Amino acid sequence: MTGVSAAELAAHDFLRGLRPAQVERLADAAVAVAVPAGHRFFEEGGRAAQFWLITSGHVALDLHVPGKAPIIIETLGRGDVVGLSWASPPREWQFGADAVQPTEAFEFDADEVIGICEGDHELGYQLARRLLAVASGRMHWSRIRMLDLYGSPEQRGGMS
Amino acid sequence: MTAQLTGTGHAPAVGHSVPARYVVRSRRDETHDTVTLVLRPVDEPVPAHRPGQFTMLYAFGVGEVPISISGAPVGTELVQTIRAVGAVTRALCAARPGEMVGVRGPFGTDWGIGADGAGAASPMPDPAGRDILVVAGGIGLAPLRPALLTALAGRERYGRITVLVGSRSPEEICFGDQFDSWRQAGAQVLVTVDRASSGWRGHVGVVTQLIDRIDIDPAATVALVCGPEVMMRLTARALAALGIGEPDIRVSLERNMRCGIAECGHCQLGPVLLCRDGPVVGYEQAHQLLSIKEL
Repeated sequence: MTGVSAAELAAHDFLRGLRPAQVERLADAAVAVAVPAGHRFFEEGGRAAQFWLITSGHVALDLHVPGKAPIIIETLGRGDVVGLSWASPPREWQFGADAVQPTEAFEFDADEVIGICEGDHELGYQLARRLLAVASGRMHWSRIRMLDLYGSPEQRGGMS
Repeated sequence: MTAQLTGTGHAPAVGHSVPARYVVRSRRDETHDTVTLVLRPVDEPVPAHRPGQFTMLYAFGVGEVPISISGAPVGTELVQTIRAVGAVTRALCAARPGEMVGVRGPFGTDWGIGADGAGAASPMPDPAGRDILVVAGGIGLAPLRPALLTALAGRERYGRITVLVGSRSPEEICFGDQFDSWRQAGAQVLVTVDRASSGWRGHVGVVTQLIDRIDIDPAATVALVCGPEVMMRLTARALAALGIGEPDIRVSLERNMRCGIAECGHCQLGPVLLCRDGPVVGYEQAHQLLSIKEL
């Protein structure tokens, strides 16, 4: 776990376009982490106190199904945000997440980021816009998956 | 037309307007509802196909349907992959080695891969020297496979070759046991599923999302896209947004092909008859057609 420079953070897709001073402030709340495959980032139901910006690797979001191995509901990679639940109440993880491959990321202390945003509403607005775009994108692709495009007419429950 | 003149008029041409007989040499179950048949000609074989073309396959006594050719254009045998979704395709999927089917074709346009080298007429230029990006959804990988195999056979002719595959579930991935051999032949292959099952550790999400996982040089890339129409529309839109020119995004459209020779009009999509002018068209043309509701 090492500190992160503003220049490193500014190069990540999620933060691209922020003003240098804003990125500097966020760098105070971030560290660089490298985790092995199988590392568990968080568990469903836990307190959402961090989030991560992936720089390399592959992270799976999963859902616990009683009596079965967890089912992966989405995978994330370079340029993606892991963890959105910290940004709004009840700040509780909705899914679990683990590294499918060795993964490198910038880890943020969510409490610190919220504190920084309380003192800089412009930065808070910029982060909120980015989080909304991420959430909206994931909702869009989830809706497409709900169409079951590759299913047969029988699987989709209708005519082709 | 290849119909032969006789003293009494036009005789139907076998393999063109009349099915040529082929015998099932082997069959392979790809998934629970998808089968690949290897067909050996009994009569004079139909002409050599170009990657992306289709044939009309006839299950004798049941009916005829358009089916993508999924094998490389090598020899006189045909490799065709069929999904059982209706009476005719169910009959074809049930065909056992030694049984007979009818073949007309090959029909339609092609992906343009190897087009210059083969010397066959193709409306699409061969992307020699450029990167090839193959994006397949579900059984859409079947008509793309001949293009991929042809490109891999002439590997030095092209830049990077990348294959993105989307499937409903891990159990429904077509040709999954061949991905490693494609990688060994020089392709990058990424696979994603809409619904993971226990034990799946690969990507989960829509195939379009895999585009963010790869490096693309828009100016150097030609994309070949096949799958359900919604998937093709979203993928083509994402590729165009990256800067790939619409003529360099080739999609395979499907409509109700019946005659295969542009006479019956069943496959009409706006101004084009897809059995002749398609199935492979550039996105600059498909863009307009796919955006018209109820067409």
